[in-house]
Amino acid sequence: MSAPAPDGAPRLLLPTSLPEAVALLAETPEARPMAGATWLMRAPLRGETHPRTYVALGRIADLKTIEIGDAEIRIGAGATHAELAAALAPLPECRGLADAAGRSANRAVRAVATVGGNIASAGFAAADLVPALLAADAEIELEGPDGARRIGFEAFLTDRAALAPSTLIARVVVPRGTWRSAHARLPLRVAGDYPVAIVDLLAATDAGGLISRAAVAVGSVEPVARRWTSLEAALVGTPLDADAAAEMAKAAAGDFEGRDGADAPGRYRVQVLPALVQRAVAALAAQS
Amino acid sequence: MSLRVVVNHEERTVASAPLTPLSTVLREEFALTGTKEVCGEGFCGACTVLVDGAPAVSCLVPVGLVEGRRVETVESLAVGEDLSALQAAMIETDAVQCGMCFPGILMTLTGFFSERPDADEEEIRSALAGNICRCTGYEAIVEAALSIRGAGAAASAVEAAS
Ligand SMILES: Cc1cc2nc3c(=O)[nH]c(=O)nc-3n(C[C@@H](O)[C@@H](O)[C@H](O)COP(=O)(O)OP(=O)(O)OC[C@H]3O[C@@H](n4cnc5c(N)ncnc54)[C@H](O)[C@@H]3O)c2cc1C
Ligand code: FES
Ligand code: FES
Repeated sequence: MSAPAPDGAPRLLLPTSLPEAVALLAETPEARPMAGATWLMRAPLRGETHPRTYVALGRIADLKTIEIGDAEIRIGAGATHAELAAALAPLPECRGLADAAGRSANRAVRAVATVGGNIASAGFAAADLVPALLAADAEIELEGPDGARRIGFEAFLTDRAALAPSTLIARVVVPRGTWRSAHARLPLRVAGDYPVAIVDLLAATDAGGLISRAAVAVGSVEPVARRWTSLEAALVGTPLDADAAAEMAKAAAGDFEGRDGADAPGRYRVQVLPALVQRAVAALAAQS
Repeated sequence: MSLRVVVNHEERTVASAPLTPLSTVLREEFALTGTKEVCGEGFCGACTVLVDGAPAVSCLVPVGLVEGRRVETVESLAVGEDLSALQAAMIETDAVQCGMCFPGILMTLTGFFSERPDADEEEIRSALAGNICRCTGYEAIVEAALSIRGAGAAASAVEAAS
């Protein structure tokens, strides 16, 4: 099915299956995928022009499922932020990802914006789900004309700008375990601003309450989110102590070179990192 | 084949191109000017309508994506001269100032109450986080919303939305 366009206006194709969407994208080289459209509808405001054809993914039922298994969670790329937050609410280890989905943007945007749309844009540094998935060691299932493949989230972030437009994100796979997680973000106002910096923390503690495993991911500070490996190493073997963690973060903040943006200068983004680490550790301590 | 959308319980044919924002189609093609377009970027909430019962910022919805779906605008809330319970409560608490944000606030709360009829004050405030009001300071709006909470409000919200 398609929504008819007057001459010259971009077309919108509405496939109902994933193979159909991949085929449409492969046979129409200028076509691009469209999910909730909350990013794409603002393309003109970013000085970008629309392609001649969009292939809408919203009618593909297979992309909307969220399956919670014993070992992993399989999240369809078409699941909305609201659907993801609701599905993860009962899972204690997923508090970070659930908050990333459930506290980004505003209610009306969360009801339509999708997981796939959030992580697909190479040019979107402030995406909330990206550091949350990075800390969670997520993997991505891609589906293209040559079939399906699964890649790690870090590799996906490196490769995503170079992926063929006919390659779709089909699912995000998140491993389960006995850890806890938190998503600390700093928007400058309450109402729907992008966060100027994001820290995701995922940690497991041993019987003595010491951190046995830590994953820290930082979003919105640099153009692409990444893991804070020196802080991860420093945290292991220490208790969940928010003030001590903030000191460690201060000592390691030189690892980051903040990006300048209209909302905040790069320096500021780096400066707030220790406070966000402090909040994340405090949130984790309160959960255990 | 033409593009069809059910607007306020009536099936309408859309002539605009599929990427046209739903808010523009509602205002310019159907003369439903209750829906306000202010920021055009999903931040202010003035353009909020219900799509299949759920609040959506219509400035970011390409009309082609709502083919075959139900859209309700602020014009659907009152039946003749009878205001919805929420609309009446806003008048009762004297909540409206310039009014620019109100169609969006009414649609956000109507959708919200149909899902969470017993919501508490904090939930109501957080539901309104995407609706910016430059005039009122929100207190009277929240008071009005709280005054219709519960079974009666839910029933009228669902009626208005269905
Ligand atoms: C008011 C407002 C506030 C916001 N606040 C936040 C915030 O706090 N945090 C945040 O992270 N974001 C925020 N956003 C950005 C929000 O637009 C994105 O996060 C959203 O998730 C994009 O999803 P979408 O489904 O709307 O994507 P779309 O606009 O449909 O697509 C975005 C991009 O992803 C591509 N794409 C979509 N799905 C797939 C797929 N399955 N495979 C391959 N490519 C795909 C599209 O081609 C396009 O390039 C905000 C947006 C608005 C309007
Ligand atoms: S006009 Fe749509 S959110 Fe502001
Ligand atoms: S009453 Fe004027 S913006 Fe809300």
